[in-house]
Amino acid sequence: MEFFVNAFLLALLAATTIAIVRMRRLIATTMLFGIFSLLMAAVFVVLDAVDVAFTEASVGAGISTILMLATLAICGAKQESVPRKQLPAIIVVVVTGAVLLWGVSGLPDVGDPTAPATTHVYKRYVEESGTEIGVPNIVTSVLASYRGYDTLGEVAVIFTAGLGIICLIGAGTGQQRRRRNGNDSGDDV
Amino acid sequence: MDLVIEILSWITLVGGSIFVVIGGIGLIRFPEFFTRLHAAGITDTLGAGLIMVGLILQSGLSQNSLKIGIMLLLIFVTSPTASHALAKAAVYDSLKPWTARGEKDAADKSSGDTKDGEGS
Amino acid sequence: MFVVVTVALLVTMGLALARAIVGPTLYDRILAVNTFGTKTVLLIAVYGYLTERPDFVDIALVYALINFIGTVAVLKFFESGEFAHSWRERRERVEAGDTGDDD
Repeated sequence: MEFFVNAFLLALLAATTIAIVRMRRLIATTMLFGIFSLLMAAVFVVLDAVDVAFTEASVGAGISTILMLATLAICGAKQESVPRKQLPAIIVVVVTGAVLLWGVSGLPDVGDPTAPATTHVYKRYVEESGTEIGVPNIVTSVLASYRGYDTLGEVAVIFTAGLGIICLIGAGTGQQRRRRNGNDSGDDV
Repeated sequence: MDLVIEILSWITLVGGSIFVVIGGIGLIRFPEFFTRLHAAGITDTLGAGLIMVGLILQSGLSQNSLKIGIMLLLIFVTSPTASHALAKAAVYDSLKPWTARGEKDAADKSSGDTKDGEGS
Repeated sequence: MFVVVTVALLVTMGLALARAIVGPTLYDRILAVNTFGTKTVLLIAVYGYLTERPDFVDIALVYALINFIGTVAVLKFFESGEFAHSWRERRERVEAGDTGDDD
């Protein structure tokens, strides 16, 4: 059954992708991107990667749809017609895909007991994180303690990005403040 | 008692599945937007509702059934709201529903085509 | 029995995807995405029961919220009728003194 669900979801993914590539109406493409993200999230759940599915659904189906629509509202929703000859692009895509497939074939099987992922630190996380850290959830203790500096760095990067966006685009309060001061010169669009 | 609950959850789950599939077929087969909205509404309220009631019956008194209950409430409130907002937006965008006389057909189709993609 | 529900949901997801691809109007596509989202929520909930680990219900719950917020947020872009002009109109509204709680 799991195989069937996976196969069906992947078939839907393929259909969505082909439709996205062939679609010339950008708003429709945005809608299909939302469907793509939802499908991807379902695939992640089937693969037991619940946290990744969580991110995919909120970022992919939620935020990025809105962001793309906002972009279309500013730029206009018409795609320029593409030139017919795209041989270099096809070559690049095929070569990249072949290299990726070749790389995947070198990965160990899922659940392989001799794989590097299950032989080194894995054991210590599973057996001792409860006593060492005192948090029942292993993922939490890895993220917040064993990999604490890494997580801190990620948070710093995201915070900096958010600050940068606020500085560049400006939050609503900035506009309101300028309007109150009476010098809304209209240069913020 | 267990048998009764089992049978009840069977009935609700299969009934919900039937409604979901019927709504899906309607989404494909119905001729224009507002009728399709009606078909999609069936899958969101009756189909989803029955399936979730079946899941609640399956899990008995537990935390999961509480969560599914919250989900049920949420979908019962949000799905009609979304349908209403969608219909309202479509009407505002001068997408005319079919009338009994059926003479809106051609005009409706052409306006629908320009409304899409062009971003009007 | 969960197999029946799962298959029904997958079939409906396929049908909704077909409607999203075919169109023909923008609202058909939004409707299809909304339907697709609800079906994903149900699929995730039912799939947990199918594999006898009904712990994914939390995720389904959050998806239900995201789906609704997404649909309403998309529709807000079409609220003023014309898509490409919505920003100009909003700006005019802001300049006219309406603080506009929507950004």
